[in-house]
Amino acid sequence: MNVELTELTRKFGRTRAVAGVTLEAGPGVFGLLGPNGAGKTSLLRMMATVLPPTSGTMRLLGRDPGAYGPRREIRRRLGYLPQTLGYYPGFTVAEFVEYFALLKDMPPRQVPRAVAAAIEEVGLGDRARAKLRTLSGGMLRRAGIAQAIVNEPELLLLDEPTAGLDPEQRVAFRALLRDFGQRATVMVSTHLVEDVGAACAEVALMDGGRIVFHGTPAELIARGEGSGAAGDAPLERGYSAALAAARSVAAA
Amino acid sequence: MSRDDLLTGGHRDAAPPDVDLDRVWLGVAEQVWRRRPGPVERAAGRLLRSPGLARALVTTPSLLLGWVIASAVVLIAGAGFTLSTGQPWVALLAPAVAAAGIAYAYGPGIDPAWELSLSMAVSNRMVLLVRALAVFGLNAALGLAASAASGAAAAVTFGWLVPMTAVCALALAAATVTRSPNAGVAAGSAGWVIAILAGHAADGRYTTAVTDSSLVLPYLAFAAGCCVVVVVATRIPRGTR
Repeated sequence: MNVELTELTRKFGRTRAVAGVTLEAGPGVFGLLGPNGAGKTSLLRMMATVLPPTSGTMRLLGRDPGAYGPRREIRRRLGYLPQTLGYYPGFTVAEFVEYFALLKDMPPRQVPRAVAAAIEEVGLGDRARAKLRTLSGGMLRRAGIAQAIVNEPELLLLDEPTAGLDPEQRVAFRALLRDFGQRATVMVSTHLVEDVGAACAEVALMDGGRIVFHGTPAELIARGEGSGAAGDAPLERGYSAALAAARSVAAA
Repeated sequence: MSRDDLLTGGHRDAAPPDVDLDRVWLGVAEQVWRRRPGPVERAAGRLLRSPGLARALVTTPSLLLGWVIASAVVLIAGAGFTLSTGQPWVALLAPAVAAAGIAYAYGPGIDPAWELSLSMAVSNRMVLLVRALAVFGLNAALGLAASAASGAAAAVTFGWLVPMTAVCALALAAATVTRSPNAGVAAGSAGWVIAILAGHAADGRYTTAVTDSSLVLPYLAFAAGCCVVVVVATRIPRGTR
């Protein structure tokens, strides 16, 4: 298993953003769904080794991220796209991707080819030498995805990757996700259930810091059948039904 | 024009069928988009044995040309005031200027890609250390040049280096703990002003903070304490296994 989380908790003051998540994931595309404030971003940040857990245990790529050496090895094999992508406005797309390739400790000789491949992969080849400040929101998102995949990560963590992408780009991006899912564990946090339906083999639904559903998209769809839950598509109805069921249990 | 057209001059049929144009294009793009590091970055890469660390060093916000020029202008003005008034303005200004540079070297709010950099194999502590040392070294060089140009006495010319270390360490600690470069600048500047005023209150001279040799050990001890705070503030707690 590339991701093994046991009773993982993260508190901010008295608020428990992540409240005892236990999860295992191997290669494939894994969707994290949930309403705003459900804890998806905090969970991804912990897996990205950006945010230390308050309690619980975590193993990533078979290693312990709490120790310096293994953490560095994990980070070499990690791709991470944060929800809010910080960038250097004066960098070109190629410089931006190269910067993070170098910070990921990639062998310098491999960097130029990897940068070119990542930029082509996200369809930004014609803007590779454009300054980041001149790019649209969707292009910036793709530049962020390029830096995440430049090192051919074994664990790819993407927080709202399709935000700002147009429908054509989203379709291409889902194909990219499926491709990566063949050889890596891809965790995608999203609000868009159609992304999950199109690209994910497994899905977890979070609410109030907990995982309230874990299964396949087909199983989530089945939750919505005949439930009368709100939604325009089967997966949306499954999402609404699973969320409503979890909240009614919590309220009881 | 598409990349295939670029490769074949618009004659796609001209490419043999067994040629993978994607692969050829990547080879071209690799060369065209390749960035040539400047001499400073190349030297830093050799010295640090890490191209990533060298790249992080040359992107230090407070080492960008505008910032360096601003620091130099302040110190040149200080040298001018020192020459015209006889007061050791450079010695009094240099620690505060360096503290501001250190506080703005690294961290959330000042480094746009802070969140991403925390997930990188090159440790954020190493980036912080390298950037802080570089900023300190540059400011020390600028300060010494300005101090020498102002014709200050030897004790004053070199006396501010140790207090500058303490003030920089305070700025770094405050910026790291609060995750705010502005808080770092405020803490460093306030600490330095307090040190100067305390020296003045003791013997009526503003230069006491930089000339009293009995203060060297307390300055160094204070700097060491601040460094411990930085180390603690930037550690990732264990217990995640």
